[in-house]
Amino acid sequence: MSTHAATASSSLPAETAAPAGASKALVVGIVGILLTAAGLFVPGNGKVIALTWLVGLSFWVAIAIGMLLLVMIHHIFDASWSVVLRRQFEHGLSAFKWLGLLFVPLLVATWVKPGSVWKWTNLDYQLHGHGTVGEDILYVKKAAFLNPTMLTVMTVAFFGLWMFLSARLRKASFTQDTDGDIKWTFHNRVTAAAGLFFTALTLTAASIYWIKSLEYHWFSTMYGVWFFANCARGALAIGVLVLLWLYARGDLKGILNTNHMHSVGQLVFAFTVFWAYISFSQYFLIWGANIPEETFWYNLREINADGFANQWKWVGMALLFGHFLFPFLYLLSYKNKIIHSRIKFIVICILATILLDMCYNILPALKDAHGDAKPFLSLNLLWVATSVIGIGGVCVWSYLRSFATTKLIPIRDPRIGECLTHHE
Amino acid sequence: MAAQSYGLVATFDSAPAIYEAAKKVRDAGYKHWDCITPFPIHGLDGAMGLKRSIVPRFSLVGGLCGFSVGMGLIYFTSAIDYPLIVGGKPFFSPLYAFPVAYELTILFTAFATIFGMFFTNRLPMHYHPVLKLDRIADAQDDKFLIVIESRDPKFNAAHTQALLEAAGGKAIAEIEA
Repeated sequence: MSTHAATASSSLPAETAAPAGASKALVVGIVGILLTAAGLFVPGNGKVIALTWLVGLSFWVAIAIGMLLLVMIHHIFDASWSVVLRRQFEHGLSAFKWLGLLFVPLLVATWVKPGSVWKWTNLDYQLHGHGTVGEDILYVKKAAFLNPTMLTVMTVAFFGLWMFLSARLRKASFTQDTDGDIKWTFHNRVTAAAGLFFTALTLTAASIYWIKSLEYHWFSTMYGVWFFANCARGALAIGVLVLLWLYARGDLKGILNTNHMHSVGQLVFAFTVFWAYISFSQYFLIWGANIPEETFWYNLREINADGFANQWKWVGMALLFGHFLFPFLYLLSYKNKIIHSRIKFIVICILATILLDMCYNILPALKDAHGDAKPFLSLNLLWVATSVIGIGGVCVWSYLRSFATTKLIPIRDPRIGECLTHHE
Repeated sequence: MAAQSYGLVATFDSAPAIYEAAKKVRDAGYKHWDCITPFPIHGLDGAMGLKRSIVPRFSLVGGLCGFSVGMGLIYFTSAIDYPLIVGGKPFFSPLYAFPVAYELTILFTAFATIFGMFFTNRLPMHYHPVLKLDRIADAQDDKFLIVIESRDPKFNAAHTQALLEAAGGKAIAEIEA
């Protein structure tokens, strides 16, 4: 093993040129953010901008959490094949502090104008024909969790934990590049063992606070797992895109082989099935029990008060087929996992449907005068696009900035030799 | 009476030696031949020019059958043969049939994979000519064998022997069928 590592460090082009796109990504990001902010000047558009911003944030935060989990899972399993991929995720983790910063407007909006994002932050909010939030027994019972102070404290705690874990994992990994000390590997294993537990808890709580609480009447014990499934799928999809990009640039030539693509493709496949499993379970339990407190959430996404199907029904169908059935059948094939253009196609599809899934979970909280969900196809999609591009630009900029500071692969990781000769 | 020939066998002393030799046999265009090694050698399948296994196709067919049987069974029993209203639900819905169909998908996929593997490997096989070789015991310890069968269209006792010699094979001998 040590001989492999020695060979790797002497014969591979581990140093790499910094990509020039960092500042471009930042400009794109800022333009996207400014365009989203400009939407606030459209009269009556405040809640739309808040929720589409939440869609963009949830999408990118999910990907960052997925990267954090996959790095820690790599360490806890003492994995070998994923060493090269892990370094790219470590760069991605640098985005947490910016994502935390970009979350601040939602908290400020909540304090300045309660109810502007989450209706339960305003006790005087008029529910549709059921009095106010403050008089609602289902709110009163949950009031200890669902209040602006707890929201703020918890959100700060979530980002604080993710930033702390990311900083520890990154520092240990990057330091090992220079001193080659095995202790950093053990150090990261300890971080991962504790970190996985707390990350699982916080991502569950975050999905409940930020997304599920938009309909605080609703109950679903699958919700945190649903969010986790999208986290893992999003991070893997971005990971594949980054590997292919680096390969196409020439950096990973001679490093990335067919078996790496096969292994990562299998994970993409596994989490496709996992997403379907938990999403189906959530729907199936609610469909089977048929309790109004639970079914209203899906009814809102299927039919209007007049009994006719609304657009969200087709979004739900698009998720069933686009987020599960199509990628599932596509990824059964070995060739579709290893041929670069083919796996690239499917991970882009997966990223698009993750975004659609976020829209499906968040945007029906926008109601019209009858209490029906506002339609999917509307100008709101423009603000979704500007939010996703704006926040994404900042994340890409953060990734590229971190990318330029270290070696391309962890050349002195004890498992790098095994990774470079990864086989079936 | 001379026994019918099964093929030629050659011994190699190391994994790299048999790996390089396998490439030569592959490039000479042989199809009916095999490497016998005491442990799996990564990449040897590529050096031998083997394609990926076709077993996944059996699995896919098994899975599709399992899913259809699960859905079909529940559709027939609950919507046609003995319709009952349960919990105000429709007689048949793919939703409640899904868990059973899903389990049967897994079960049938597993069966198809196992039996597909037996079929493609022609198992069970109670007799194989190489088991008569004395050196088969060495090939489970620290020796590596290449066996080229005489039914291969390219097989020619003299040429094949020359090829194995050129590839570095030792103790080249004929195997009785």
